[in-house]
Amino acid sequence: MELIQNLLLGFSVVLTPLNLIWMVAGSILGTILGMLPGLGPTTGIALLLPLTFTMEPATALITMCAVYYGAMFGGSRSSILLNVPGDGAAVAACFDGYPMAQNGRAEAALAISAIASFIGGLIATVAFVIVAIPVARFALRFGPPEYFMLMIFALSATAAISKEALFKGFISLLVGLMISTVGIDYQTGVLRFTFGLMELQTGIDFVVVIIGVYGLGEVFKNLENIASGGGLQAIQKKFGRIWITLDDWRRSIIPILRETPVGFLVGVLPGAGATIAALMAYNNEKQLSKEPERFGTGTIEGLAAPEAANNACSVGALIPMMTLGVPGSGTTAVMLGALMILGLQPGPLLFQQHADVAWAVIASMFLGNVACAFINIPLAGLLVRVLAVPPKVLYPVIVALAFVGVYTINFSVVEFVLLILFGLVGYGMKKYKVPTAPLILAVVVGSSMEQNFRMALMLADGDFGVFFRNGICWTLFFLAIGSIAWPFLSSRIKLPWNRS
Amino acid sequence: MRSDVLVGAVSILFGMAYTVQTLHLPKAMVGNPWAPLFFPLALGVLLVAMGIVVLLKGLRHHPSSAKKGGSKRLIVVTILICLAYTALFERIGFIPSTILFLGGLLFAVNGAKAWIVNSLIAVTFSFGVWYVFEKIFYMNLP
Repeated sequence: MELIQNLLLGFSVVLTPLNLIWMVAGSILGTILGMLPGLGPTTGIALLLPLTFTMEPATALITMCAVYYGAMFGGSRSSILLNVPGDGAAVAACFDGYPMAQNGRAEAALAISAIASFIGGLIATVAFVIVAIPVARFALRFGPPEYFMLMIFALSATAAISKEALFKGFISLLVGLMISTVGIDYQTGVLRFTFGLMELQTGIDFVVVIIGVYGLGEVFKNLENIASGGGLQAIQKKFGRIWITLDDWRRSIIPILRETPVGFLVGVLPGAGATIAALMAYNNEKQLSKEPERFGTGTIEGLAAPEAANNACSVGALIPMMTLGVPGSGTTAVMLGALMILGLQPGPLLFQQHADVAWAVIASMFLGNVACAFINIPLAGLLVRVLAVPPKVLYPVIVALAFVGVYTINFSVVEFVLLILFGLVGYGMKKYKVPTAPLILAVVVGSSMEQNFRMALMLADGDFGVFFRNGICWTLFFLAIGSIAWPFLSSRIKLPWNRS
Repeated sequence: MRSDVLVGAVSILFGMAYTVQTLHLPKAMVGNPWAPLFFPLALGVLLVAMGIVVLLKGLRHHPSSAKKGGSKRLIVVTILICLAYTALFERIGFIPSTILFLGGLLFAVNGAKAWIVNSLIAVTFSFGVWYVFEKIFYMNLP
């Protein structure tokens, strides 16, 4: 009963004209940003972040969530039509989506990817509603030592995604934490690493880091390819009715329902993320299929499964961010940071102190899914025309947007210099294959991680045993160790999703 | 892999510089004087350690044939234009500087042949953004 009351409260907040307009606008912007190759949900949210500074917290969060799942819907458009994934998670949509379009079934491919995303997102949102409150209640037991261990787990899981990049992941993580130490120390007032610059006393704003590393860094990387002669291919612009046949539906529904929980679980755990969820779903279905040889030739269930998992994952990833206040992916880290700018501290207390905001976001997830389905099925033919915009025009505009956005943070041009600097850092990281997600995560949680660390030590008079004071701590400790060891173990044991 | 050697070396250098900087930080007046230094010190030392591991890993593997990177000309040009924008922004105001900035970027990336499209986009964008910020969000741009 309490649950339904809360949901009703949420819907009553969302169903104001302003919030609805922003939700739809966010969904459209997100879909477009997700579609454009090289601009994923993280970059999209980062670029649109300054827009939300003047909004009410609930409106801001609703807008950002809309951009987030809009990007998840949109990512597969360019996979299907161009064989170029719009973001990492849409890689799996290339395997069967592009062959489908080549076989003249682009309409069915666009339709099923939106339908699968819709069902996956919807079921995951129901799961979110059921899981969120118990998790938040449990997290009320967390003190500084538990939070510190939780952050260690979240960070190491994000850094240790692959065996090859394990150490580079940790380098990225450490540099992120270092960036977060710049500025005044909250507990003692000592100025750290400000180099005498007044502007650095309040620290480096993580929005600058995010827009620099993701937005500018991405553009720099792409400028290199434009120069070497890359460009967009011709794109199909004429479509028939974007819908599926009964036979398509019959083939897809079971894979969709089967892979949604997989995606959701992968999303809740920190680190893995939507790309892995989609690849896992694809490989699961290939193994379970009676005709695995048809996968890769344009079979509809090979597109439906990863799309459902992808969206379920993106909803699952919001759970640790909203209920614990610790994000498990780059994108949710950006959203967490945005909430902090608005003066909200996500975490267990969010559901008590700002129940209206928390439940409005949940309600908006239901409505946003519907909005995205509408945008992506009837309007798909119109929206994919964005893919025809030449990147040579697009990238300069993105650079300009990045500068305008960054200016609105502090209204100072010092941020411009930092932006260029972090753009170069992001470019270098992408060029030398250093993962960027750990850096972003660390920049956002770094300061609170250090505070928790020192508070825990103060409470225990400097005794490090406080970090192992109870079962929660030990569990988190072993999870962190396990997440680092996992890439090594899983490469020894043959797991289905390592094959692709 | 050459990239590992580079990443490792840069990490070691940065980690050492950061650690040295940390040791020169002022001590706290209240509480444990080392409290603000402890966390950064751990970070610096760990970064150096990680850098060494990545460097050794890179040296152990035989250098694979270096992948031919694309041209860096556009990146350098973009950065120069960005720096010019930084210098001009507060002096000549948002609209003129942004028209020059985006126009310059478009000319560099999209080519001088498409000058009509370039100018149109630069002018529309600058006035559009200015309008949105001044009239809808009530933020003042210089």
